[in-house]
Amino acid sequence: MASSTIQTLTTTFPIKEIFALHFLHSLSKLRRQKSFTGKTSERARKIKIAAYISMARATGGTSRRWSRAILWRLHRRAKARKILGYTKLKKRSSGADVGRIRRRRKDAEEDRLRTVVPGGGDMETLRLMMETAHYIKCLTMQVNVMQSIVDALSSA
Amino acid sequence: MDPPLVNDSSFSAANPSSYTLSEIWPFPVNDAVRSGLRLAVNSGRVFTRSELVEHSGNKDVVSTAEESTVTDLTAGWGRRKTRDLNSEDESSKMVSSSSSGNELKESGDKKRKICGSESGNGDGSMRPEGETSSGGGSKATEQKNKPEPPKDYIHVRARRGQATDRHSLAERARREKISEKMTALQDIIPGCNKIIGKALVLDEIINYIQSLQRQVEFLSMKLEVVNSGVTTGPTIGGFPSGDLGNLPIDVHRTIYEQQEANETRVSQPEWLHMQVDGNFNRTT
Repeated sequence: MASSTIQTLTTTFPIKEIFALHFLHSLSKLRRQKSFTGKTSERARKIKIAAYISMARATGGTSRRWSRAILWRLHRRAKARKILGYTKLKKRSSGADVGRIRRRRKDAEEDRLRTVVPGGGDMETLRLMMETAHYIKCLTMQVNVMQSIVDALSSA
Repeated sequence: MDPPLVNDSSFSAANPSSYTLSEIWPFPVNDAVRSGLRLAVNSGRVFTRSELVEHSGNKDVVSTAEESTVTDLTAGWGRRKTRDLNSEDESSKMVSSSSSGNELKESGDKKRKICGSESGNGDGSMRPEGETSSGGGSKATEQKNKPEPPKDYIHVRARRGQATDRHSLAERARREKISEKMTALQDIIPGCNKIIGKALVLDEIINYIQSLQRQVEFLSMKLEVVNSGVTTGPTIGGFPSGDLGNLPIDVHRTIYEQQEANETRVSQPEWLHMQVDGNFNRTT
């Protein structure tokens, strides 16, 4: 597993460029959409979702559970929208946690961390730490790239 | 090993009372008074002493008996254990007695009675006592060895539990790994190195992630504004609406190139960071 993650991290695509590509592509897509001319908060929300999704896609979505969780959330949301129109999401917990043994749920801070990291609901602690480290790195990368895009756009 | 503990407590509860009372009584008393006092304290055992006195009819015997009680007190644990062993050898009474303290006392008294009855005649009366005491001493050395092995065994068992029990081993390895990850996370997050304590570190991590997420949100809002500004700019500038679809891609391409340039300028340490990430994963 370790070697595979190293491969996905180093030898395959550079995550930053991939994220920038995905994000700019989705931005241009969003701008071409007619529904994009809504409220500014709605548009901002869509851009945020696009940023997270492109980040999740940039990481490959294979070995990292948080990226899969983000993509899965999007998938479910799209499905719900397609079927029922736009509805509020139900909590996933009942479906995901059935049949899994929960051990050591004492730590309040750890539980908070589980809520913060996507897909961290029922991870082992070790896995949670790894995912958190990777998630933090990707978030910093995302913030940097977005900041540079904002700078470029505002200067242009 | 439970009954000996109970025995010990009961005996230590029983023994010092007589001893301290004979200590407390400061006046030079003759043995009859002393035995009477002891009778007042705990009747059964002193009754055995009085039996001894009756059997031997000698003052020295009483004093030696008292010495024996003192040595009982000083001999302490191992000696009592030998007694318990003796009583276990004497079987049935002790078996019946291992349930409660009172019965234990009775059994001890019975045992003493047995000792007294064994030491039937006068001169020989002291010798079994001495023999038992000497035997007790030898057995005390045995017992010193013997309680050590149980202690050692318990200790070794604990060590064994620490060392070779697979669950605890796995648990310890897991904890070590988690703490490694925590330190790695502390290294990632700026200004988190000085924080001590898991809860505080986790709190800091959560705060950092939330701040990053908020930053992303803020940047997306900013991007929305900028993006809409860019879109509205060319339309105001009189571009035909058909080109509007194609335009953003070019804009984005240029932006992307700019941003790449920016990235290549800025991001060298961050690439190192990702390499560090690779190393970080290799340690797992």
